Amino acid sequence: MKFGKARFGGMILAVAGVTALAACSSSGSSGGGSTNGSAITLPGGYGSVPAAATGAEKAGTITWALQPGTSPNWIFPVIPSADNSVFNAESFGWDMWVPLYWTQNGVTPEMVPSMSPADTPVYSNGDKTVSITMKSWKWSDGTPVTAKDLEFDIDLIKAGVKESPSNWASYTPGYFPDNVVSMSTPDASTLVLNLKSAVNPSWFTEDILSYAGPVGPLPAQAWSKDSANGPILDFTNPANATKIFNFLTAASKSVSTYATNPLWQVVDGPYKLSAYNATTGAFTLVPNTSYSGPHAKVESNFQGVPFTSNTAELNALKTGSVDVGYVDYTAVPQIPSIKRVGYNVFGMPDYGSNFVAYNFKDATGHFDAIANQLYFRQAMAHLEDEQGYINAFMHGAGDPAYGPIPAYPQSPYLPADAATNPYPFSVSDAVSLLKANGWTVTPGGTDTCTKPGTGAGECGAGIPAGTKLAFNLIYSTSPSLLGQQVTDLASEAKQAGVEITLQSSNFNYMITNYLDPAAPANENKWAMEDFGGETDNPYPTQFNFLNTGGATQIGDYSNSTANGLMTASISSGNPSAVKNEAAFLTMNQPLLFQPTPDYIWAWKTDISGEPSSFENLTQYYATPEFWYFTK
Amino acid sequence: MIAYIIRRIGTSVIVVIGVSIVIFVLLHEIYPSPARDVLGLKATLAQVNAWNKANGYDAPVIVQYLRYVGHLLQGNLGYSYAENQSVAALFQERVARSAYLSGMSLLLAIVIAIPLGIYQAVRRNSVGDNVATSLAFVTYSMPVFFLGLILIQVFALSWPVLGFEASQSTSVLTVMGDWHDMLLPILTLALITVASFSRYMRSSAMDVLAQDYIKVARAKGLPERLVLLRHLLRNACLPIITLIGLSIPNLLAGNLITESLFNYQGLGLLFFNSLSKADYPTLLAYTLIGAVFVVIGNFVADLALSAADPRIRLV
Repeated sequence: MKFGKARFGGMILAVAGVTALAACSSSGSSGGGSTNGSAITLPGGYGSVPAAATGAEKAGTITWALQPGTSPNWIFPVIPSADNSVFNAESFGWDMWVPLYWTQNGVTPEMVPSMSPADTPVYSNGDKTVSITMKSWKWSDGTPVTAKDLEFDIDLIKAGVKESPSNWASYTPGYFPDNVVSMSTPDASTLVLNLKSAVNPSWFTEDILSYAGPVGPLPAQAWSKDSANGPILDFTNPANATKIFNFLTAASKSVSTYATNPLWQVVDGPYKLSAYNATTGAFTLVPNTSYSGPHAKVESNFQGVPFTSNTAELNALKTGSVDVGYVDYTAVPQIPSIKRVGYNVFGMPDYGSNFVAYNFKDATGHFDAIANQLYFRQAMAHLEDEQGYINAFMHGAGDPAYGPIPAYPQSPYLPADAATNPYPFSVSDAVSLLKANGWTVTPGGTDTCTKPGTGAGECGAGIPAGTKLAFNLIYSTSPSLLGQQVTDLASEAKQAGVEITLQSSNFNYMITNYLDPAAPANENKWAMEDFGGETDNPYPTQFNFLNTGGATQIGDYSNSTANGLMTASISSGNPSAVKNEAAFLTMNQPLLFQPTPDYIWAWKTDISGEPSSFENLTQYYATPEFWYFTK
Repeated sequence: MIAYIIRRIGTSVIVVIGVSIVIFVLLHEIYPSPARDVLGLKATLAQVNAWNKANGYDAPVIVQYLRYVGHLLQGNLGYSYAENQSVAALFQERVARSAYLSGMSLLLAIVIAIPLGIYQAVRRNSVGDNVATSLAFVTYSMPVFFLGLILIQVFALSWPVLGFEASQSTSVLTVMGDWHDMLLPILTLALITVASFSRYMRSSAMDVLAQDYIKVARAKGLPERLVLLRHLLRNACLPIITLIGLSIPNLLAGNLITESLFNYQGLGLLFFNSLSKADYPTLLAYTLIGAVFVVIGNFVADLALSAADPRIRLV
């Protein structure tokens, strides 16, 4: 299981030259559709995506399978920590209120200018001033989207985090919006932010101004009040902003009124909500006819259909009862039968990494000292058979990851040393590393430190003679993939004399009890843990996750070189600073990185659209405004 | 009888109170407060403590328990932070659906199992008896999800005469009318129950058939049909009455796997989702209501037994 995408990290500003999702407007003609060109196959992907069909484009209702437990339950775009998930944001909310900058182009995490309601931001004053110009978009009530609407969102966020830091999932004290000294709107379409200190432009846009927040315009003309029938208030007054925030938050907690509350009918995105079932989480989105962004010539209704289990959803695919559905990696062998029913199938890992975390504070058996030794972490990486995991446990539908930026989907920030495995699977290499650093290796038994000390060829600081290389690894039992991988890891490790005691647990218990910052009392109870992984932001800095004292630290990794590189990622003027950070972290192995299964989707062959609009399903984004029926 | 009922109600209340204390204390040990769920992982310990203080979670366990009981008595089952709804609303949305699925499957099982058990007892060791016994053993030993998958594959996928998923309507009246989609999930649960009920019925009927009053009735020339209906049925049903009473808690939560398999949003699935999300307010309410149902089920079974068999006197 992965965390939602709520991870504070850098945002990067537009990467130019992307092949953006453009407005689909093929010339209409009678008759059925036909593909125009061959299907698109992407590196690291599973299956392919057909080119957009030419010919007639018809509207209808597209049904979309919701995974168990992922039905949206939060609608207000300022999402609190408790409700932060990709299923509330990218797959639901963003269809109605578009983030300031859209940063997903198919499987590639890069900006799509045409889908963004603002022009590329301009940085000046040594990257301490950001000027954002809004495009001439409209709200569904006909009023223009202005810079004031963006200011409204930021003021609401400020009011929310002042009450409680958890009121905005992306908030980290000292950073946005704390680092905004002032805002001004010199004209109706321009918002100027003056920041306390220089920021990395690439980081600030992709993580702060769009993706991670998200930050985006909200309808001040309709929402800036503290009661349903109250007057419009001046939101720039902090006291008013607090009242407005509390009013909107209370409305968002009333899940049964999502489709009927007039607040939520004022949107700037491609859809508005017409039905919502509080019991099941099923919803229906209908096209917003005032939407100013790109979309297909005709837009269809979009229905989220919840499922109680992957088995029930698979049965729906087998009977052709749902138009767009996911295929769990365990069901990969059944893909041929799904295709026979009439589906296209494509998969790609989510942009992020799965990993096993080290606890650099666990003093049990001197593990803290052991984990701090690079050679040990390198040896552990050598014990991991990533390709074996992909073949055996993922049925071949997965891709490796060697560092915090995965090899696939391809990112413009992937460093060269993360494109191939710097520590390929080799038990003998792991043994050699341990022997070369003062351990007596006992294959099948337990290694012992026989050369203590800090010199070359010695075990390292804090590891006394006789220390056993034995520790526990706690893993979540869901999904079963995690248990399969760590079981194999423990087996391979045993051949190198590394004794790993596996303990099963569950995700919620682990993140409550086995995170050093959150549960320091349990620091000595876990050496390594595996609960899945995390999704990267488009500018994939690990700042706030792996820097010393980071707000989302797990095992207290601390490295001064890494700290400097991560700080540069968010504050230097180099738009590609994160590449240096990722290169270092890939070699330094703060985590034991694991392969990621493909997130596979199936959609009916009579549904077509821009290929990237299907590709981005694999990244949890739903952009049905580009889809149309061909029959 | 009245005295018995009063005593029984009294002991039932004590049992429910005892269960509530045990469950509350145990859950409190595992999950002292929902602060981390509300505030998120980035919250500091100081923030967690402040939230706990503001929301009463820093009070002693006994104080929290008494406060919880006070809310319960006003119909407030608590708030689910995971679902952003009150626990009462979550239950209300699902209880009728779960009760219908469980109730219909139980009713169907009774309608099939009783005559089947009697037939097997009367025609014991015949071909029919042996076939029914074999089928009962096979079905009883089969996991419910496996039986469900087989039924879906045969009747919904390979030969699509029935729906592959249960009715998706949130109106229980619509669900009740949707036999096309509800037959498979009901059948899945019912067949497993038939397997066990029919065995009990067969065994009980065989015991009754050996009784003297049955021989006397036959000797007097009473038609066999009346022997079975008037003398056998009522006496042989006593174990089934007990089983039915013990099945009442299943109306609440016995259908988790079936609901998962047939995409049916019911209480069983709510329980499972609450477990995986660590939604302890929902789990606590669920367990307490389950305890109440067990107590009621046992009580109803005892009363029904007494009504069915005058030899049983409740004192």
